[in-house]
Amino acid sequence: MKAASAAQLSPAARGRLGFLALAGFYGALVLACVATLAAAGDLSLGRNPWDNLLKSLADFSRPSFLDVWFGPTRLEYRGDGGELLRVENRREVETAFLWALVRATWTTFQIATLGSLLAALLALPLALLAARNLHAPRLLAGAARGVLDVARAVHTLVFGLVLVGIVGLGPTAGILAIALHSMGSYGKLFAESIESLDRGAIDAVRATGASPAQVFFNAVWPSVLPQFVGNHLYVWEYNIRDSTILGLIGAGGLGLLVSEAVSLFQWSRLATVMLVIVALVMGFDALSRRIREALR
Amino acid sequence: MSLAPDEPAVRITDLAVVADCRVLLQLPRLQIASGEQVAIVGPNGAGKSTLLRVLGGFARPARGEVEVLGRRFHSLDRVGWQQLRRETGQLLQGLHLVPRLTARENVLIGALARPGLSAWRSWTRCFPAALVDEADAALDALGMSAMRHLRADRLSGGERQKVGLARLQLQRPRLVLADEPTAALDPAATALACAALRRSAAGATLLTVVHQPSLLPLLATRVIGLAAGQIVFDRPLAAVDALLLDALYASSDRPPSGTTIEPGQADRERGIASARPRLSTS
Repeated sequence: MKAASAAQLSPAARGRLGFLALAGFYGALVLACVATLAAAGDLSLGRNPWDNLLKSLADFSRPSFLDVWFGPTRLEYRGDGGELLRVENRREVETAFLWALVRATWTTFQIATLGSLLAALLALPLALLAARNLHAPRLLAGAARGVLDVARAVHTLVFGLVLVGIVGLGPTAGILAIALHSMGSYGKLFAESIESLDRGAIDAVRATGASPAQVFFNAVWPSVLPQFVGNHLYVWEYNIRDSTILGLIGAGGLGLLVSEAVSLFQWSRLATVMLVIVALVMGFDALSRRIREALR
Repeated sequence: MSLAPDEPAVRITDLAVVADCRVLLQLPRLQIASGEQVAIVGPNGAGKSTLLRVLGGFARPARGEVEVLGRRFHSLDRVGWQQLRRETGQLLQGLHLVPRLTARENVLIGALARPGLSAWRSWTRCFPAALVDEADAALDALGMSAMRHLRADRLSGGERQKVGLARLQLQRPRLVLADEPTAALDPAATALACAALRRSAAGATLLTVVHQPSLLPLLATRVIGLAAGQIVFDRPLAAVDALLLDALYASSDRPPSGTTIEPGQADRERGIASARPRLSTS
């Protein structure tokens, strides 16, 4: 009975009903999430969220790098009895921290750059196998797609944790982690670029009697190269964002400073690090966007 | 060159092209002499483009023997195909330009397979000045000199068609297969295009799909009418008139079984065909 009435509906009405059903399902899913959280009592914001928020904001609003110019030259640490424990020149301490920050930024950039390049090199042959219009042997194509899917599914941090255990602490683990995860993204993007190739243009060059190498350099290469460069910039940019947290697991770079600042509750230092991360990411984003637009 | 002068440019025997269980083309016999200029006319879906695609090697016949410029398709290997394509200039629908290359670079693609061109030049697109001049001259002749540095994906449909024609000219083919070469062109450009096509087909065999009857005298001395994948008539240009063409285009309204024109005329067709010395009757 129901099937018969559904068949009588016009395709447009059926499409709308289908969308409504999907929307209803989504709403039910969100409600279920909220309800189970509330039932478990996990929907709390802590004991006094407002005080904590204000305190953190106050610290954040005075990033530590200002101490280079405005900090006290003589900061005295005294014990309970008033005896002098330690004297610090805040300006010198902060300058040293800024140099460490510069080194960490360079490390992060190294990890992102070398990791992306390694990922692109690893992904290229897999993308050639996975691209549907190149008709690689089905078994190999399936295997390549599987490897790329797994690489994309496992987060950089997970790869990093495993690799720190294998190759030890340091940037190498970060580079390899970025490479393994991004390989999946690269493979997908490269394969899509290859699949979007204009078959007619390739056939047209072939129709002039050009050799396979000539067809490659005159039809395939000029179409694919700008897309590959665009893809590379896009993933590289993504990896610069991603590699800033790799230090959290001991892979070096800015993340190390983030985790230090967080564990010592030095919110003003965290603010400095965050400013550097934002500047780095925004600067590279703008640069890569400019290059990608020029390539269009 | 290696071809004997009386060797036909195209020889088709018992050809059938099938796609999705539908017969697109069925030609018991077709022969086109070297140097002949042939127009193919017929309603949409008659198999005109299919015929050109078969001859260009982009559609595989289900059955039959095809021989182009003295080369049998069955016995061709990869290198053989390459040589055949070098000598066959194609201007087919769906054979696009390379979108990211300039108009001039697209024209120079026609010269890729020339024997004198060194491999590194053809790979890096650093063509010798003489070739570049030749490409610019071909573009000039079609009124495209201002567009030579524009990328192909910035050109209009008609401009792309002109670039395709100029590319054909640089290829210097011995057989030209042109599918509606003036489809996207305005009247002035149509005249230019026909002149360019005749120039690149000078001394070569020209096979053109034409829809405008007014272009027939410019591009052909022999006209083949196709309908529903079969030859309806095949006669010299002088024997083609508006009535005949009207009957051919009207035949698309009828089912394939009724595609022949009146019997007396059909007999005369065969008479003309067998009277032509180059068409074998056996």
